[in-house]
Amino acid sequence: MSQFEVYSPEGLRMDGRRWNELRRFETSINTHSHAADGSSYLEQGNNKIITLVKGPTEPALRSQLDQTKATLSISVNVTKFSKFERSKSTGNTKNERRILEMQTALVRTFEKNLMLNLYPRTIIDIEIHVLQQDGGILGSLINGITLACIDAGIAMYDYISGVSIGLYDTTPLLDVNSLEEAAMSCVTLGVVGKSEKLSLLQVEDKIPLDRLENVLAIGIAGAHRIRDLMDTALRAHAEKRVLNASKR
Amino acid sequence: MSEVISVVSRNGAFQKTMIMEEFSSDESEDDYNMTGSEDEEEGEEGAEKSSSKPTSKKSSKNIDSELMTPGELITSDPIWMRGHGTYFLENDTYSSVAGRVSKVNKLLSVIPLKSRYAPETGDHVVGRIAEVSNKRWKVDIGGKQHAILMLGSVNLPGGILRRKSESDELQMRSFLKEGDLLNAEVQSLFQDGAASLHTRSLKYGKLRNGQFCQVPNSLIVRSKNHTHNLPGNVTVVLGVNGYIWLRMTSSMDLARDAPPGGSTQVSGGEASGRAAGPTGAVSLNPNASLSITRLEEESSWKIYSDENDASITNQLKQTISRYANIIKALAFCEVGITHERIVLGYEASLAYSDVGALIQRDNMEALGADVLNAERMRGNAE
Repeated sequence: MSQFEVYSPEGLRMDGRRWNELRRFETSINTHSHAADGSSYLEQGNNKIITLVKGPTEPALRSQLDQTKATLSISVNVTKFSKFERSKSTGNTKNERRILEMQTALVRTFEKNLMLNLYPRTIIDIEIHVLQQDGGILGSLINGITLACIDAGIAMYDYISGVSIGLYDTTPLLDVNSLEEAAMSCVTLGVVGKSEKLSLLQVEDKIPLDRLENVLAIGIAGAHRIRDLMDTALRAHAEKRVLNASKR
Repeated sequence: MSEVISVVSRNGAFQKTMIMEEFSSDESEDDYNMTGSEDEEEGEEGAEKSSSKPTSKKSSKNIDSELMTPGELITSDPIWMRGHGTYFLENDTYSSVAGRVSKVNKLLSVIPLKSRYAPETGDHVVGRIAEVSNKRWKVDIGGKQHAILMLGSVNLPGGILRRKSESDELQMRSFLKEGDLLNAEVQSLFQDGAASLHTRSLKYGKLRNGQFCQVPNSLIVRSKNHTHNLPGNVTVVLGVNGYIWLRMTSSMDLARDAPPGGSTQVSGGEASGRAAGPTGAVSLNPNASLSITRLEEESSWKIYSDENDASITNQLKQTISRYANIIKALAFCEVGITHERIVLGYEASLAYSDVGALIQRDNMEALGADVLNAERMRGNAE
């Protein structure tokens, strides 16, 4: 088997996973307790992401003040050292079209999930730092934001878990890494809790319509698994906090 | 009502108990809350009630201990009223935050593990002026929104009978300007949950002669008194919002701590001596050597002074920083911060001669353990 074979006849992918296996998923919650109201650190495969949620607070600018609900602002900082090769772009990466598009997608996803109407005249500022990226970055950002928002105590309807799925020939591959992402067409999903509702569906490449349902099915199953992983991590964290408090 | 909620939530939050499979009936909780109206239901429940009464406090701790995460179904029973931290679709009530369930009578809410400070009327808070605007100051009290302090809700130099004039509006910055710290009381809440403050008492107002310190607001428990005199000539103001001010003890602080009626009182005037002034201010002991009347104190520009007293010694500054580090250590150990614990922490901290050494991780942990230990020892001794 060649090292660069995307999907071997034996059913193994480049990194040794099967088609329906997620990457390593590890999180810590409340990592930056002094700097933000809610924070999380997420490792999904080789994606390493810090998410900070500041707010709800008084907005700095009048233009950010909404009388009926909180303003949600999300800024993504993709560090220049996050890929194999250092990014050569000289300008500010924040204004790259790709990043802006990602921010818009995230805002639209979470505007519907967070109960912003409970926090009128405030701003919720979400700051993301991508320390290392290895494909399926948007899904990982969604997971990071979900955890950080829960940590901040912001009311939300449900977890949102994000995952990317590739389609190799006729086989859907769950949770693609950057090499797979480059080799095939991919879909990113944001799934609401344990339901089959999608709050985000991003398709940037062509995908045969008759295969899409298959891809979505495995994506939703994977997202549910991620939700469970996040839930377990959150509960462990919460139990620890409560235990700390009860120790007195 | 709100007081009951906070008590119940605290019991839940600090008590790690078994997770219950199903909601038990809320009888024991009714017991806990309806202390006054027990006689109505003597009948069949009478025996059970009387037997459960001594343990009612304990049982209320066992309830409400379930940990919820967002989107989790709490109950399908439509009898519950939905409180904070919940939402509903048809008859099903779901949690919208991660935290513990709190049930008060028929009100079901989920208290998040951590959230921003939510002001309540009567809270004693410490805040920082964020903005000076038309006839009001905006004060950062660590809440979701800035609190508002109206020009009319502060004591201005010149006594209580003084009238506010337009010139006061123009020189608002000479009283309080951006960055100034003050302590105040929450007077009322606006529709959207923002707080309106007042400083119409001598115990409130601008803060000086000390150091600011911040801890998570969940660590401060609401109590009757939030200003405490500590050993070493230091006074602490524990704002309910988690903002803490440590300062040199002033004559005012000493007067407040003196026993009512004043043991040093020589002759009559006991009633008038300690009576609260028309502004709710605690008046000074008339026999105190400083002999400033309340009116003089109130009318003086000194209450808005930016200058620290010259009498602060280096020794005192060290003590204040020691207290600040003790509070940081207690917060690090996630120990609720009370007057007693700060004093215990101070006693334990005297083992470290270097104040800076207190905030090294090991020392913080040791200090937290020491405080809890000391507390336990005293509890047993009594």
